[in-house]
Amino acid sequence: MAQSSVKEAVNDVPGLRAVFVTAMPDCLLYDSWIRPEESWAAEEAASYFGDLVRANREGLRALKSWSAEMQVTIESADLLMIVRELRGDFVVTLAFQRDAPLGMVRLHAKRVMERLDQLLPTLEAQERPRAVKITEFLEKYAPDPHAALHRVALRTGIPLGTLRKPETLESSQVALLESSVCDILGLESLSL
Amino acid sequence: MSSLRRYLPEHDLMYFGPSPAVYHCHHFNLFLDQTIDDALGFEAGSRLRFLAAREFATPLLAGVAEQSKATTPAEKLELASKLFAGMGHGRLQISADARGGEAKGSFLHYGYSWSQKYGHVVKRRHPADAFGAGFAAAATEVALGTPQDTMTATEVGCVALKAPHCTFSLKPGERAPREPPVGESEVGQQLIPTFNGLYEEVIQPITKGLRDFTAPVQGDERGLVQAFGVYVTLHLAGYYNRISYEAVQQVERKAPHSLGVLEDLLRESGHVCVFNTFGGIILSPEWEGMVGPLTGEALPIVTGCIAIARALGFGRWTVAEFEPGKRLVVRAPCSYESVFYQARYGKAARPNEYFLQGACLAIAQLAHRVEWKNKPVLNADYYNALFRGGPLPWKVEQTKSTACGHPVTEVVVTRNEAARA
Repeated sequence: MAQSSVKEAVNDVPGLRAVFVTAMPDCLLYDSWIRPEESWAAEEAASYFGDLVRANREGLRALKSWSAEMQVTIESADLLMIVRELRGDFVVTLAFQRDAPLGMVRLHAKRVMERLDQLLPTLEAQERPRAVKITEFLEKYAPDPHAALHRVALRTGIPLGTLRKPETLESSQVALLESSVCDILGLESLSL
Repeated sequence: MSSLRRYLPEHDLMYFGPSPAVYHCHHFNLFLDQTIDDALGFEAGSRLRFLAAREFATPLLAGVAEQSKATTPAEKLELASKLFAGMGHGRLQISADARGGEAKGSFLHYGYSWSQKYGHVVKRRHPADAFGAGFAAAATEVALGTPQDTMTATEVGCVALKAPHCTFSLKPGERAPREPPVGESEVGQQLIPTFNGLYEEVIQPITKGLRDFTAPVQGDERGLVQAFGVYVTLHLAGYYNRISYEAVQQVERKAPHSLGVLEDLLRESGHVCVFNTFGGIILSPEWEGMVGPLTGEALPIVTGCIAIARALGFGRWTVAEFEPGKRLVVRAPCSYESVFYQARYGKAARPNEYFLQGACLAIAQLAHRVEWKNKPVLNADYYNALFRGGPLPWKVEQTKSTACGHPVTEVVVTRNEAARA
């Protein structure tokens, strides 16, 4: 999607600081627009919003309260954000100035989502190897990401060079990888 | 506390009471413990860390009790608590008799600093204070005169697991196999004549100034030493060395193909330590007061780091060669690692001073990759931005070690031409 398209979709929205479009299920940045005076890196932020919606979906399912229409509203110290899943293909995040009225934000968010729904293509779901997703998840959330793969290698006995090509792992190695990543991150299971 | 600290000035090694000792930060302590557990699994890793703590706390506690003329169990347990807090390990209160008992800890260095550094990022599944457990067991044995190497301690509550404080259950157990001691006399037998390197006229006064500065430092009301952006401990060198070398030996036996990654991670513990602690010292107002403002040149960072290493008891590290942007060669007559290895295990098959290797690599990174004049904040984000991905612009090789019978220990750090800037 061309940059101008995202910009066109949001150009009349007051108080908007950025929009991030995250492609699902891999949580990769698809497109973004950020106000020129902001110093944010879209790539660093976008994947977390995908994970956020995924975790929110699982939480709501656990409460038997999930619906496709749900959206997440975040009120931080200096941002008001709306995070919403669009057609299962994308997660759209709108970051507003903190002092923007919530009612106005919701109204504009609804309009922007409708525009983007028209603009964004339907993605062909590409199922990537689970080991690739696990490795990406580890490197995103591990406390010492520069050493994370070394730790997995030491814990599992899988050679470092093999771990650097996760798509080549055998199924028994994938199970070892997933178990060690769960241990390192202190999680019961990985929501991927 | 300060009267217990002694240096071998020619070799820049340190003793605390009768025990070889060094200063180390929480970055090093946490990463090293984590690496041991990654290598051996939590059960075996924490067992080794407990045994090492108990082994090396015992001569310290016995020696200091004798020196202080503490004779009753209550006096000796009180002295142990004071030592533990004075060394920056937190507050530990032990209540035990020959049948066992309990120890209660607050602000324990490992658990507390783990919570501070990692608690908001990951959930921990196992307690963190095997060092505190070993120290409590040793204190109980020394205080009560029960057989050495028999008291066990299990951490049943830990602040790193969100408990309100740390709790240990003490019980008598089976006697663990006795290891050959590594104290002052054993270390002394390994020492060869010392030597100087380049820039001694700069390095030696800074080392002296830092020693004077750190002499009165001891734990605050929490029993912690918080300075230069890190939690600092006065620690037992034998603890670090035993857990590192026994982990290496076990991995060599059971999973030799994993030895390389273990050695990488042991080096990384030195790297993260030096980058954060030495960097924090160099950025401090105290450093500017003692050494002067930072110029942005690489050489003052290298000489400053060598001086800091000596002051912290790491050994007589010297600058043998330095070409800014190209090459750093550090030589030493010994390190706190080499003397331990020789005393306990004999001649090493290959150079294996992992902390020294990681430290020298970090010195080159500090000298060349940090914009000192911008006064950067040395936090996790900064560290990850510099060192995530690879290959990195500097590489390290230990070419000689006195533990192998070489006349010197030598580490060479060179520019990695194939790497990113």
